[in-house]
Amino acid sequence: MTWLPSAAASTPEFDAVLGLRPELRDLFRRFYATPWDDDLLPRSVLELCRLRVAGVHDCAAELAIQDPEAGLTPEKRAALAHWQDSHAFSPLERAALAIAEKMPWQHHEISDADYAELRRHLDEPATVALTVALALFDAGCRLRLVLDVAPAPAATAPSAARPLH
Amino acid sequence: MSTRPRVSSALPGQPPHFGSVMAQQPDLLARFGALYATFWSEGVLPHRIKEVARIRNARITDCGF
Repeated sequence: MTWLPSAAASTPEFDAVLGLRPELRDLFRRFYATPWDDDLLPRSVLELCRLRVAGVHDCAAELAIQDPEAGLTPEKRAALAHWQDSHAFSPLERAALAIAEKMPWQHHEISDADYAELRRHLDEPATVALTVALALFDAGCRLRLVLDVAPAPAATAPSAARPLH
Repeated sequence: MSTRPRVSSALPGQPPHFGSVMAQQPDLLARFGALYATFWSEGVLPHRIKEVARIRNARITDCGF
């Protein structure tokens, strides 16, 4: 339960807390949802990276979110914590995850080789989209953890048209 | 951390920098700009507090930019 007051009990706590500044909340929603709403990257890649960043942060509120449209099997989700040792992930997914898991605490260790591998699978616009998405996943976890936001039931992936979970 | 740009500028004649690299995704850049500009230009926090926090965060994350 967050230590900040929030308005409507029916609104997810994260959205309600950000709603203390409605204009900023709406602009954040729109920006945060862009990779999904504009189909900038495969949803499976976004979902795997989002969950991996949340796992590194141990952020229960972020881990509670699921994107059914990403098509992630429970087995693949379970394998995510040890993706380096798993054969379940494609070369693109592996390249994205290698950068994703360094984003929270090891951002200076993201190497030219990491990006060279990613660029074998993504063009420059998609590379920018993924990098921004990773920064947003990191920021989203930090916001939820610092504001002490409770996990929301039936939480879904971001969309500018929906409240943030 | 590399000192070589990993993505090129999308703006002709401009070197790679935050805005020109982000311009590879114009809608993403526009939405970021709208959020960030609102954060800086409006609100309940004194500008000085935002600037102190920005600089301290940059030092903690060792971001020379």
